[in-house]
Amino acid sequence: MNLSIERVGKRYRGDFWGLRDFTLNLGPGVLGLLGPNGAGKSTLMRILATITRPTEGRVLWNGEDIARTPDGLRSVLGYLPQDFGVYPNLNAVEFLEYIAAVKGIDGRAARQRIDELLALVNLIDARKRPLGRYSGGMRQRIGIAQALLNDPKLLIVDEPTVGLDPEERVRFRNLLSDLGGERIVLLSTHIVSDVEATATGIAVVDRGRLLAHAEPEALLSGVEGQVWEWVLPSADLPAARERWKISSTFRRADGVHVRIVSSLAPSPEAVPVAPTLEDAYLSVLEGHRAEKLEKVA
Amino acid sequence: MNAHRMVWHLLRADFLERVRRYSFLVILAATVALGWLVGTGKLQLWIGTVRGVDNSAWIATTMALVVNTFLSLAGFYVVKNAVDRDRQTGVGQILATTRMSKPLYTLGKALSNLAVLGSMVAVLFVASIVVQLLAGEDRRIDLVQLLLPFLLLALPMLAVVAAMAVLFETLPGLRGGFGNVVWFFVWAAMMPLAIEVGGLFDVIGLNLVNRNLEVAAAAAFGPAKRGFVLGGIERGDGPVQIMRWEGLDWTSGMLATRLFWILMAVSVALLAAVFFDRFDPARGWLGRRAARPRPAGANGAVVVEAPAFVPVPAVHLSPLSEASRRFRFLDVLRAELRLLLNGRRWWWWAGAAGFLIASLTAPLDAVQKFVLPLAWMWPMLLWSSLGAREIRFDTTALLFSAARPLGRQLPATWMAGVALAVLTGGGAAVRFLATGQWDSLGAWVVGALFIPTLALALGLWSGSSKLFEVIYLVIWYIGPMNQVPTMDYTGATAAGLASGMPLVFLGVTALLMATAIAGRRRQLAG
Repeated sequence: MNLSIERVGKRYRGDFWGLRDFTLNLGPGVLGLLGPNGAGKSTLMRILATITRPTEGRVLWNGEDIARTPDGLRSVLGYLPQDFGVYPNLNAVEFLEYIAAVKGIDGRAARQRIDELLALVNLIDARKRPLGRYSGGMRQRIGIAQALLNDPKLLIVDEPTVGLDPEERVRFRNLLSDLGGERIVLLSTHIVSDVEATATGIAVVDRGRLLAHAEPEALLSGVEGQVWEWVLPSADLPAARERWKISSTFRRADGVHVRIVSSLAPSPEAVPVAPTLEDAYLSVLEGHRAEKLEKVA
Repeated sequence: MNAHRMVWHLLRADFLERVRRYSFLVILAATVALGWLVGTGKLQLWIGTVRGVDNSAWIATTMALVVNTFLSLAGFYVVKNAVDRDRQTGVGQILATTRMSKPLYTLGKALSNLAVLGSMVAVLFVASIVVQLLAGEDRRIDLVQLLLPFLLLALPMLAVVAAMAVLFETLPGLRGGFGNVVWFFVWAAMMPLAIEVGGLFDVIGLNLVNRNLEVAAAAAFGPAKRGFVLGGIERGDGPVQIMRWEGLDWTSGMLATRLFWILMAVSVALLAAVFFDRFDPARGWLGRRAARPRPAGANGAVVVEAPAFVPVPAVHLSPLSEASRRFRFLDVLRAELRLLLNGRRWWWWAGAAGFLIASLTAPLDAVQKFVLPLAWMWPMLLWSSLGAREIRFDTTALLFSAARPLGRQLPATWMAGVALAVLTGGGAAVRFLATGQWDSLGAWVVGALFIPTLALALGLWSGSSKLFEVIYLVIWYIGPMNQVPTMDYTGATAAGLASGMPLVFLGVTALLMATAIAGRRRQLAG
């Protein structure tokens, strides 16, 4: 099972490149795709889900170009788009039966699968309610269920935890971890903690380009000894923000506890702390941007 | 922010959003085509065999009546989406939290509608000058005579259309396809009212112009019984007589009737505010329906979602065997049919059953002329979802990432539409079969294929159900209901059958199918 993205680019109108020269090779596991808004994550997802064709480059699924023969991938693909709709007059079972039929799943197998999925996403009690009366979170869970209907070998989920309550979010993270063992799961999000909890690999994307692809441990080791905690008076915070790369702040009685990513200690009072994935992500992002600025200068 | 500034910005934003869409260019192109029809004499104003010299007054009056007659129908459908767009895009939720009052909102939307319709009329105004210069009968451009018909004849009519579109959008029952059908019949009723009754009922201005032209024609060529025609082929018999006409002599009474309609338009726009739900789904009729079955909590609060933090037992997800990955077309067809028929209320089924019974029991002639056309009007709002549903409900990403969306889902959607035609019109087919009326049966088969194919093609290309609703209504009204053979797709007229119209419609169906496939291919190409 292999997904190979080879120098893929996508150009939109006005000569704007949503993705450029993107290369990545993936095997089973959960890949967390991290990046700021507009980084190109959703463009990549849509290309991999055969919705959009790349302008250049190619994507191979087990050696087959998905732009030329998309159906090979489509039959084993599960896709949860960032924005999607449902038919408001159908209930959950009817909607999933419809998607199952379109995906070519045998009726009996589909019914059993739908029962299991509705239990999995905690919608058994609401199964007969028209989808038009679902809340945003419930609709998102229907989206998750439809993506898993055909027991996909490649599961692509774009911002899947949006609208989920904390319990559902934890359940979904656990599910993704379980699924990642025997298939390729692509999780796109800007919620770093979701990736932290599930991903076996991480790709950082910014402005359509791949900045880093590594295991979480490797990313973390990259910022080992470069994360500091420093307690500041509130009044000094704006100046510190201008000078240092701050990954988080929280207020305590003794002042503002600031988390700074820097190769040098920002102050003799600052103490080194264990890095988190959020620190590593910011470091990659900021490092790349600084490099670019230097080149321009 | 003061009221007029609010209305202005509402109008401006809405207008810009609309005119920057690709579809607006298509609308303008259609308007230019309308101007071309006038310019080439295909749409002419006749008083019997009399027409005016192509001067500013004559051409502008003709254009204004064309606007009032045709744009009052088509324009309504063009602008009847201003509130819906705010609902769909979520902008309405933002507006609802501002201090903007409901009357200001509906008035602003009506003005925005009027601005869109006005831009179409502006195109026709320019076209009037071009037509006059090209005609060459009188090259003197009289700006006053060019402007007056547009301002005094067209503007009040368009103001009414703009306001009615907002009213329809705020009334839950008229918001969707049913409202489109209702407007068609309102429009159809406006014509005879305008011509026969006139006065305050003459919003189109047909009677007003007709009376004036009759007097002018009688003065030029003597009194005679003439007729008023706005068309190209049905003028009176005899040689063409040309008179010089310098425009309507606007009396205070005439001006008062036009002002009355502008005031009516304002009243309708303000009336819409009464029904406007301010984007609160719980306030509308649908919201009340939706709220009813929700279980109430112990304190009377409505339970909306499954409660959080309820422990859920671990669920085992069985792997799907290779054998169960087996595509069955019938499964998709069944699912498409369910999607089409789901949510129908008892009265819809009762109506369909009534038409079926009438088809089986009524005299054969009545079945052909009335029952079958009506039976195939009944499911119009279901057919109109074909092809447009995926865009409307934003399910394209889910469906197009499944295998062979072109070869599997599209044929199933189409066949579900055909099955609906068979279901509702099946009684007539049984009668034709039983009585050996093979040509009628052939026409029936073509009709059953034509309707869903038309719906699918128009839905796929427009992304909306409205285009099919309008075009199908017009064809249905002119063809089967008014017995015009060239539009008879059901075999309702003997002349249509004799002249081989079913074969023509079969050809059109094939073309529409090719168009539908191309439309889906375009969607798939992203």
